[in-house]
Amino acid sequence: MRKFLLTQLLLCLFAIPLIAQNRAITGKITSSEDGSPLPGVTILVKGTTQGTTTNSDGTFQISAAKGAVLQVSFIGFASESVKIENQSSVNLALKPDASQLQEIVVTAQGIRKNQRELGYAMSKVNTEDVTVGRSPQLAQALSGKVTGLAVYNVNNSVDPAVKIVLRGYRSLTGNNEALVVLDGMQTTSTILSTINPNDIESVSILKGGQAATLYGSSGINGALIITTKKGAKGKLKVNYSNSTNFEQISFLPQIQDKYGSGSHYATAFGTTGYKTDYLARMADNWRAYENQQYGDAFDGSMRIQGRTAEDGSQLIIPYSAVKDARRKAFNTGVSVNNQVNFQGGDETSSFYMSIENQSVNGIVPHDKSNRTGTRLSATKEYGKLTASFNAGYVQGVYNRTGFDFYNGVLNQPANLPLSDLRDWQNNPLANPNGFYNDYYNNPYFEADNNRYNYKDANLNGNLNLTLKATNWLSLTNRVGVMNNSRTGKNTVGKFTYSDWAKNKSYIPAPFYRDGDGTGIYRALTDTPGSVEDYSGTENVINNEFQIQLSKDLGPVSNRLILGNSLYQRTTNNILIGSSSIVVPDVYNVSNRQGILRGGQILTQERRLGYYADYTANYKNFLILNGSFRFDQTSKFYKPTRDASFWSYPYYGAAVSFIATDAFPSIKSEFLNYFKLRANYNKNANDNIPLYGLDLTYPNGTSFPYGNTVGLTVGNTLPDPNLKPEQVYSSEIGGEFQLLNNRINIDVSAYTQNSKGQVITVRVPNSTGFQSLLINVGETKNWGYEAELKYLIARGGKFSWDASVRYSYNDNKVVDLYPGINEFQIGGFSYANTNVIKDSRFPVLKTDGYQYAPDNSGRVLVNATTGYPLRNTSLLPRGGVLPRHIAGLGSKMEYGNFGFTFNFEYRVVTSCLVTLAVR
Amino acid sequence: MKFKTLIIAALMAVGGSSCNTKSFLDINTNPNQLPTSLPNYVFTNALNTTATNIAGNTNGQGSNELGFYWSGQWTQGNGYIITTSQFAYQFTNGDFNYWDTYYDNLEDYQFVINNADANNQKFLKGPSKVMKVMLFQQLVDLYGNIPYTDALKAAAVLAPKFDDQKAVYAALITALDEAIVDLKANPFTGGFSTSDIAFGGNITKWVQFANSLKMRILIRQSKVAGMESYIKTEINKIVTEGSGFITGYDAAIGGPSFFQPAAGQLNPVYDRWGYNETGAKRALNNYPRPTKFLIDGLKAAGDTLRLKRIAYAIGGENGNTPGVSTKAEIAANYAGTPFGASSGYLPANTSSVGPSLLVKGDYNRPYIIMTAAEVQFLLAEAKQRYSDVTLPNTAKAYFEEGIVQSFRVLGANTAGAAAFKGSKIENYDFDSSTDKLAAIAIQKWIALTNFSGLEAWAEYRRTNLPVTPQSIQVPDNKRPTRLFYPNTEGGSNSANVTAQGTIDVFATKLFWDVD
Repeated sequence: MRKFLLTQLLLCLFAIPLIAQNRAITGKITSSEDGSPLPGVTILVKGTTQGTTTNSDGTFQISAAKGAVLQVSFIGFASESVKIENQSSVNLALKPDASQLQEIVVTAQGIRKNQRELGYAMSKVNTEDVTVGRSPQLAQALSGKVTGLAVYNVNNSVDPAVKIVLRGYRSLTGNNEALVVLDGMQTTSTILSTINPNDIESVSILKGGQAATLYGSSGINGALIITTKKGAKGKLKVNYSNSTNFEQISFLPQIQDKYGSGSHYATAFGTTGYKTDYLARMADNWRAYENQQYGDAFDGSMRIQGRTAEDGSQLIIPYSAVKDARRKAFNTGVSVNNQVNFQGGDETSSFYMSIENQSVNGIVPHDKSNRTGTRLSATKEYGKLTASFNAGYVQGVYNRTGFDFYNGVLNQPANLPLSDLRDWQNNPLANPNGFYNDYYNNPYFEADNNRYNYKDANLNGNLNLTLKATNWLSLTNRVGVMNNSRTGKNTVGKFTYSDWAKNKSYIPAPFYRDGDGTGIYRALTDTPGSVEDYSGTENVINNEFQIQLSKDLGPVSNRLILGNSLYQRTTNNILIGSSSIVVPDVYNVSNRQGILRGGQILTQERRLGYYADYTANYKNFLILNGSFRFDQTSKFYKPTRDASFWSYPYYGAAVSFIATDAFPSIKSEFLNYFKLRANYNKNANDNIPLYGLDLTYPNGTSFPYGNTVGLTVGNTLPDPNLKPEQVYSSEIGGEFQLLNNRINIDVSAYTQNSKGQVITVRVPNSTGFQSLLINVGETKNWGYEAELKYLIARGGKFSWDASVRYSYNDNKVVDLYPGINEFQIGGFSYANTNVIKDSRFPVLKTDGYQYAPDNSGRVLVNATTGYPLRNTSLLPRGGVLPRHIAGLGSKMEYGNFGFTFNFEYRVVTSCLVTLAVR
Repeated sequence: MKFKTLIIAALMAVGGSSCNTKSFLDINTNPNQLPTSLPNYVFTNALNTTATNIAGNTNGQGSNELGFYWSGQWTQGNGYIITTSQFAYQFTNGDFNYWDTYYDNLEDYQFVINNADANNQKFLKGPSKVMKVMLFQQLVDLYGNIPYTDALKAAAVLAPKFDDQKAVYAALITALDEAIVDLKANPFTGGFSTSDIAFGGNITKWVQFANSLKMRILIRQSKVAGMESYIKTEINKIVTEGSGFITGYDAAIGGPSFFQPAAGQLNPVYDRWGYNETGAKRALNNYPRPTKFLIDGLKAAGDTLRLKRIAYAIGGENGNTPGVSTKAEIAANYAGTPFGASSGYLPANTSSVGPSLLVKGDYNRPYIIMTAAEVQFLLAEAKQRYSDVTLPNTAKAYFEEGIVQSFRVLGANTAGAAAFKGSKIENYDFDSSTDKLAAIAIQKWIALTNFSGLEAWAEYRRTNLPVTPQSIQVPDNKRPTRLFYPNTEGGSNSANVTAQGTIDVFATKLFWDVD
C-alpha cells in the first residue's frame, strides 16, 4: 500500500507533459453582462484531454496546435468554441444561460448528476460557504445554511462534539444522525469536527432516506457527502490563511443577586421559636460557608465569607453582589488557526496538499487543545485508467477538566469575587483548606485537580481506480480505510486536608452563630485521587465497486450503475484504573491502594450490499430514476437464523420534470425555469444495538469479589424474531427561477413512515426483566422546506444577495405495541423523556410543582408548612425538539471585500434545567 | 489487507457465493459478555444483590433505610438539607422504587431454580426458594397486592396480573414448605458451598432460617380476624418439623471471606454511611442519626449498654481509636435528633449511628438480614397469644432470650441483659410489665434498631408501638401506611396497576394492618 502511494505521488509531481508543435495561447474570459472577469472557466482542446481553467482575474494560458478548437464552458453561461488559426490570444465574453444554471452535483455513491436530473431535494454547499467567517469547524459552518439541517452542539469545550440531524427525528430510540461520507468513504461525525474546512470542495446534503438508498442502512437518516479538493490543473497555487477567534460566555442563566449564602438553619416549622416572618428566617439561615443562597438580603455590611485560614487570613468582603462575578470566573477563549495548502497539476494529473494547525484555549481556565491535520490527494490519468488517492491524518492533543466548572461556578453566591480566588496554590483563602464553601470546593481548584488528557490520531484515506473501458462502460473500485485511535489518562489529584482545616478552622465573632456546635464542625472528605488509563481504536474498511453503463437510445439517454459495497467496522476499547493514589502527582495505576480496575469492550460489524441504479433521461426534461439494493448484515446474523432475518431489499423511484423545457411556451421573463420532482422509497435499517440478539449474563455489580465470581441475568430480553425495520418515504418538490434568475425558490414536502423499529421497550420489572428488545411501533415524520434566494444586485464590482430558509418538521408515534401506549426512554425519577402514542416524540415529563390554576405562574404551597406541593405523578410538558427552523443569510461583495452573515432560529418547546432537586 | 478485502469484494460481486457470505457475517457473538451462565455464579450474585438492595450502598438507598426512619428509630442529620420525601412524607410514585431492584434480584433466584436441575446443582434450589420468599414478603409489606403467580415469567407474561396480598402470604408459607423439602433432599456437593455466601452450604441453617421466616409471616397476620387456627396449625407444623430457628447466630450475607477492601466490595452499610476502601469518611457519614425518642428511651430505662452500641456519643467515632467515641461514653454525652428536625441539631451536637453498625476499618462484617433476637420475640408473641401451641418454652423465656440475643448482636456484654430480670422496668421486666404484648413489641422495636428497618416499620404499622413522635415536618397525624406502585410498573403494566384502585399512601392499609 505505502509503496503504491509513493509511486503515485512521484508520478504526480514529476510527470512533465511533452506535447510537440504547440503554441501558447493566452486570453481572458469575461461575462457579457457586466464585463467582469470569470474565474474557473473550463477551457478544453476539443478531442483531447488537454485543458485548463481561468485564474481569478479571468485569464488563462493553454498550448494548442493550429487548427485546434478550444471549447470554453462555464456553469450558468452558454458554451462557446473558438478555432485557433494564427492568433495567440483569445478573449471571450460569455453570455449567461439560465437553462444552463444547473450544477453537476455529487450524489450517493459518488455518482455525479446534473442537478436537473434529481428527483429529490438536495442542497450543496461549496468551499466559499464553509470557509467564510473562518469557522474552524465544518458543522458550525453548515449551521443555518441548509434547509432541514439542524446542528446540535453536544458540548462546546476545547474538543467540541456535534450531532447533525436532517429533517428531524425518525427513530424513537436509535440513531437519528446523518451519515457522513468523506470522498466516498462512509465515516462518522468525528470527521465534522476534525476536517479542515479549507480542504472541502463541496458538501452535498442528501436530506431524505430516498437520496441515500444507495448507502443502505447507514444512509437512512440522510447523508452529508463531503468531497475534498483534488487539485486543479495548472500552475502551483499556494494558499495560506490565518484566523484567530475569540470566544466568550454569551449568557448565563439568570440567578438571584439579592441574597447571600445560607441554608435551612432557621428554627424548623413545628418547633418552638419558629419565626413566621420569612425575612427573619432568612437572617437566621445565613451561614458564611454555605453553597445554597437562602441567606438574608445583601445589605453592604462587611462580613466574613467562610472561616479563618491557618495563617490567620480571613475573607472579609462587602455583603453585596459583585457585578458579573460568575461571568468573570470564565476566561476569554482564543483559538488560532493556521493553514496552508498547495495545489497544482498538468493535463493528466493534479494534486492537493494541505496542513492545518489549530490551537484552542478554552473559556474554562487551563483547558486547551492543539490539533494538526494534513491532507494529500492526487490524481493521474493513464489513458483509459484514472488512479487517484486521498489521505488525511489528524492528530490532536487535548487537556480538559473533568470537573463541571459551570456548575461549580453557579454554586457560589453573588457577593463572592470568585475571579480573585484563582490562585489556589498560593492564596490560603483560595486553597481548599481555607476556601469558604463547605460543599462546593473552589471551582478553580477542582478544574485543575480533575483532568482529562488524551491524544487522538485519525487517519483516513482511499484509493480509487476508474477504467473507462469504452465510451459506454466504465468500472470503478474504491477502497477506503479509516483508523481512529484515542489514548488518554483521566486523573484526579490526591488532596488531604490539613489538620487545621478539619479540626481547628473557626468562624470568628461576630459571625459565629449559636447552635453551630463549636463552630468548627465541617463536612470534609479527603480526596484519595484516581487515575484511569484507556485506549480505544476504531477501524473501518469500506470497499465500493461500480460498473457504469450509459447508452443513448433515440431521444432517451440511459444510464445504469451496478455496484457492490462492503463495510466493516471494528473497535477495541480498553481501560485500567485505580481509585486511589499513594504518592501525590504520580499518575500511574501501580501507584495505588486496593485493586486494579479495568475492562475491555470489543465490537465488530459487517455489511455487504449489492445495488443497481437506472436513470432514463428523455430530452433532458423528463428524467426517471429507479434504484434497488440488497443488503446483508452481521448485526442480525446467526447461523441458525433464516436468511430473511438478516438480508433485506430496498427500492425506490424518482422522477424529475422540467416544465419550462417541455413546454417552452410557458417560459417568460418572469418564469425562467420550473422543475417538478417526486420520489418514493422503501428502505430498511439494521438499527439494533450491536450483539443485541443475545441475552447475556454479565458480571454482577462489582464482581468478582476477590476469587468469588458472581454473574447476573441480563436485564434486556431480546425477541427471538428480531428483524430490520422498514422505512417508507415519499417526497414532492419544486424548483423555480424567476425574474431573469434573480430569484430562486426551492420547496419540498416529505413524509417518512418507520415500521417495526427495533427498540428497547420498558417492560414491567415483575416479569423479571427490565426491557424487551423488539420490533415495535410505527412512527411518522413529515415536514416542509422552503428556500428563497434573491440576487438583489449584480453589476460592476458590487453584488448583493440574500436568502431565507425555513423548515418545519414534526413527528408522531402512530403505534407502539399492543397494550402499550407509552414508554420511557431516559431520565430520572423526577423527569424523563417519553414516547407516547399519538403524540410527538420525545416528550418531556416532569413531576415539578403544582401551579395555581389562574396561570399566574405561582406555585401552590401547603397551607400550614409553606412547602411547595409536588405533583404525585409525572406530567407531559411537551416535545423537546424544534419544529421550526428558520435561517437568514446575506452576502455583499464589493471588489475584494465581502460581508456575509448567517442567522438561525429554532423554536424549542420544552427543556429541563436542573440545578438542584430536593 | 486492503487488497485482500478488494479481492474478496470482487469475488463476491461476481460470484456472490452464499457460503462465503455466511462465514463473512458470522461474527455476531458477543465478545464482551457471557452468553450463558452456571446457576452457582448467579446464586452468589443474587445473595449479594439482596444484601445491597436492603442495605443500600454508596450509590443509593436500600429499602431498610426508609424503615429505620418511618419506624422512628433514625432521622436525618442536620448537616444536610432535609429530604422532604422521607420526613415530610412528600413522595410520589417516582420515589422509593425498591420494586424494580427487588424483581430484578428475584429473577436471578428464579434463574437458579429453573436451571439447577439441568446443571446438576439441585442443592441451590432450596436456598433460592427461601430467599424468594423473604423478598416477596418484603414486597407485600411495602406494596400490598403484587404480581406473584404471573411474575418472573419473562416474555411469556408481559403484563403480570397482581395477586391478593393475603393469598401471596399464604403461598409463601407453602413455598417455604417446598423449599425445606428441597433443602433436606439436596445437600451441597463438591466445592459449591463457597457459592453460598450466606450459610456456607449449611443446610440446617437454611432450614432454620426458613422456619424463622415462617414465624415472621405467621405472626404478622396475628391481628387479622379468623386467622388464629391457621396460624396455630402452621406453628405446630414448624415444631413438628423439628429443625428449629436461627438461634445464637443471625442470618447474614457476606463476611470476611467475601467482602474486599476495594471500591464497591465493602459491606454495603459500611460503604453507604461509613468509610470508603481507604478509610476516608463517606459524605453521608453524618446522615442517619438515632432519634431523640430512641436515645431518651434507652437512657430512661438505664439501658446504657445497648445505648453505647446503638449510638456513638456526641462528636462521633474517634478516627484514631476506631469503635470508640471521641467524647467520654457516658449517658450525658448521648443526644438524639428529634424525628424530622431540619435544623438546630447539627451533627457535632448529636449522636451518630454506633459501633454495632459502623467501625472504621470493619469493612467486612457480614450483612445481617434477620436477627436471632427478632425470632425470639416472634416466639414470645406466639406463645403469649396462643398458649396452646406446641412451642416448648414460655413467652417470658422467649422474651428474655430475645433481650439476650439483642445484646449479643449489638456487641454488648450479654450478662447485662440479665440485669433487667425482676428490675420492675416497664417493658423490660416481663413479669412486671402490664401489657405483655406491648412489652414484646417495644423490646422487638429496640432489637430491630440498626439491623432490620423494614421489619421495624412493618411491626410499627401492625402494633402501633412504640408511640413515636410525628415528624416535625408534618402538621397532621398521618403516617405512611405503604408505598405507591412505582411509575415504572405503572407505565409498563398500567392495566394491572390501575386495577389495584386508587392508592392513598396514608389510608390504604395492608391486610395485616388492621388498626
